[in-house]
Amino acid sequence: MNPSRFIMGLLGALVLPCGAPAQPPGAGGVSPLASRIAAAAPGDTIEVGPGTYPGRLVIDKAVRLVARPGPDRPMLDAQGYGDAVEIRAENVELRGFIIERTGSELDGENVGVRVLANGAVIQDNELRDVLFGVDCKAALRCVIRNNVIGAKDLDIARRGDAIRLWRSDGTLIEGNTIRDGRDSILWYSKGVIVRNNLAERCRYGFHLMYSNDVTIEGNTLRANSVGIYFMYSTGVTVRNNIIDRNRGPSGYGIGLKDTDAFVIENNILSGNRVGMYLDNSPVVRTNRVLIARNTIAVNDVGMQFLPSVKGNTLTGNTMLDNFEQISVLGRGDLSDNEFDLDGAGNFWGDYAGYDADHDGVGDTEYESQTLFENLMDREPKLRLLMFSPVQQAIEFVGRALPAIRPEPKFSDLYPLMRPAGATLVAPARAGGGNIWIAAAALLGVPSMIVGFAFADRLLARPAARRNCPAMGGATA
Amino acid sequence: MIAAPLERVVRVFARPAPWWSNISAVAARELRDAVRARWFLLYTLAFAGLGLGISYISAAGSGAAGLSGYGRTTAGLINLVLLVVPLMALTAGAGSIAPDRERGMLSYLLAQSVSRWEVLLGKYLGLSLALLACICLGLGVCAGVLALTGAGTSTDARSLLWLGGLAFGLALGMLSIGMLVSVLAHKGSVATGTAVFLWLLMVFASDLGVMAGVLALRMRIETLLAVGLANPLQVFKMWSLHAIDASLDVLGSVGLYAADTYPHGLAWMFAASLAAWAVVPLVVAGLVFSRRSGV
Repeated sequence: MNPSRFIMGLLGALVLPCGAPAQPPGAGGVSPLASRIAAAAPGDTIEVGPGTYPGRLVIDKAVRLVARPGPDRPMLDAQGYGDAVEIRAENVELRGFIIERTGSELDGENVGVRVLANGAVIQDNELRDVLFGVDCKAALRCVIRNNVIGAKDLDIARRGDAIRLWRSDGTLIEGNTIRDGRDSILWYSKGVIVRNNLAERCRYGFHLMYSNDVTIEGNTLRANSVGIYFMYSTGVTVRNNIIDRNRGPSGYGIGLKDTDAFVIENNILSGNRVGMYLDNSPVVRTNRVLIARNTIAVNDVGMQFLPSVKGNTLTGNTMLDNFEQISVLGRGDLSDNEFDLDGAGNFWGDYAGYDADHDGVGDTEYESQTLFENLMDREPKLRLLMFSPVQQAIEFVGRALPAIRPEPKFSDLYPLMRPAGATLVAPARAGGGNIWIAAAALLGVPSMIVGFAFADRLLARPAARRNCPAMGGATA
Repeated sequence: MIAAPLERVVRVFARPAPWWSNISAVAARELRDAVRARWFLLYTLAFAGLGLGISYISAAGSGAAGLSGYGRTTAGLINLVLLVVPLMALTAGAGSIAPDRERGMLSYLLAQSVSRWEVLLGKYLGLSLALLACICLGLGVCAGVLALTGAGTSTDARSLLWLGGLAFGLALGMLSIGMLVSVLAHKGSVATGTAVFLWLLMVFASDLGVMAGVLALRMRIETLLAVGLANPLQVFKMWSLHAIDASLDVLGSVGLYAADTYPHGLAWMFAASLAAWAVVPLVVAGLVFSRRSGV
């Protein structure tokens, strides 16, 4: 016997019995709905009334499993063990259920709905306390629509993906609400449309791996670690998304790595650590890519480029109030990228030029050329000194002494005078009344202090002069 | 006189100790002096004016795309506080003892039945109240502008209140240093000059030193954080960002390291640093002042 195999076998014998958690009594059994599926013919509609249906449900016929309309929705309860639903037949529809309490084993990929066949429609369900949400494996042309997908209260890395596609071309992911999940990830899936979803407090809002010809539009991605991250994908379209406050060590609104032939337009990227991050994208320089009419505002860094990035075209974007507009990590410039298209550049909130001929385009170019930013890009630790007066001092020195003025990172020859990017319905940060209270409180303190100091004079009352006469009157 | 109304309040709980009467009497005199003096008026005007400009510009800029000025006003104000408040507090502290000594005022004061500690603490109390009034006035004007233009949000309100409190904490430390300078110096002009020099050192030279350390010595982020925590200005800045944004992402790797390594202890570390800067120089000043023979 091969000794290594023997050892592996021994290890396996030792590990396996304790590896799998003990199955709770009654859990992981067959769902009571199984008999109704067995009795149905392909194409039938099975209406399920309210109630709790414990156990794992396998759908191996092309049936429509639909919750009966009403206030109480039927509950498919996996009771904390294994998967809740597995779809094995083509063209199954699963609609209107509450799907909850899967197991918590990452290696078992315990999932709310596992889809193993084409054409499934998963709609109007609520998935809660699930490890993975919806997991499509080689399932083409599925529809995942209007579901609410929650997660288990585990450490973020121990959670599962809210939505995962694996070689599932032509899927439509639409109108879902995804909260607290790990990622929603597309693997090797072509022609997917991701539309009008909301993802918040996840790790990755959406993550594409080797997924080509994908359209991502109208989504709201906020308070995730990363809004959308593209890797090794070609032909992606990203438009009309709101990508807000994705922060943390990753903290990218949109990140592109080795991604090609992309169009990113009309998005709002606000309050992220880095609005847009580009790493070797586009891959082929001659491939036409477009970053147009986005509003990139109030991020710590508006756009961050690796120095090797070339071949992007930016036009009509609004770069407003980012602490750093454009950052080039390491040293380098962006001279191989275009900052205008057909005489239309971008709007830069810090542009100091003028437009004498009133054609809407500034008469002097916008150059990003600040010494402190250059130093920060070279040595990111210097970010510690952001907002310190020394930052302005360094900038001033850089401007005053041409000898140490840094090379410009890029220049926009046709800076726009007015923002042309997507306009935003301001994110609800209500409570304007509080500012009045703050103003009153702040102005109240000095008046109280001054009032106390001169109380005696104001009241014109002779004060009991204690201890020393010098203090009372000697000051006038 | 501040002593009388304050005492009326205090008397509800206990008869005021004689030392408190003395301290509050000195404080009241100092406070009234400050309110009358030009430096106070000048700093208040400068602070309020610059704050007004910052909040007006941020309010105007953010309106263009319908975005609220998320953190922008705050960032500008942090910058302003870092420049103005240390200067204000250092020079106020420097002007507390040394000029009085020069004018003979100090001898006159010490001839009364007040101890040297009482004089020092009284002056500290009075000047800190004057500084608090100045800071609150400046930030209050900003809050007023934000409220009037309708650009203010509750985030702004919260951050302005935090800024006010933390700027006061910074001012206490700087005032303490200023008073130590004033006790040590023999002439008022020397004290003021030293204070301005210290201001330059703390605001610019220390940060330039950190920059040099990062670029030339490749300082590690732990060291950088320790250096930052030792510097009251950096502590004020980090604490403001931390309190307002609940993260230190903005400050790059050092900020991320700090927030990740000390998720709960960070605020306490900030508080300890500011408290040390407020207490230690003042105690040293008191010891020097009380043991000195003659004025």
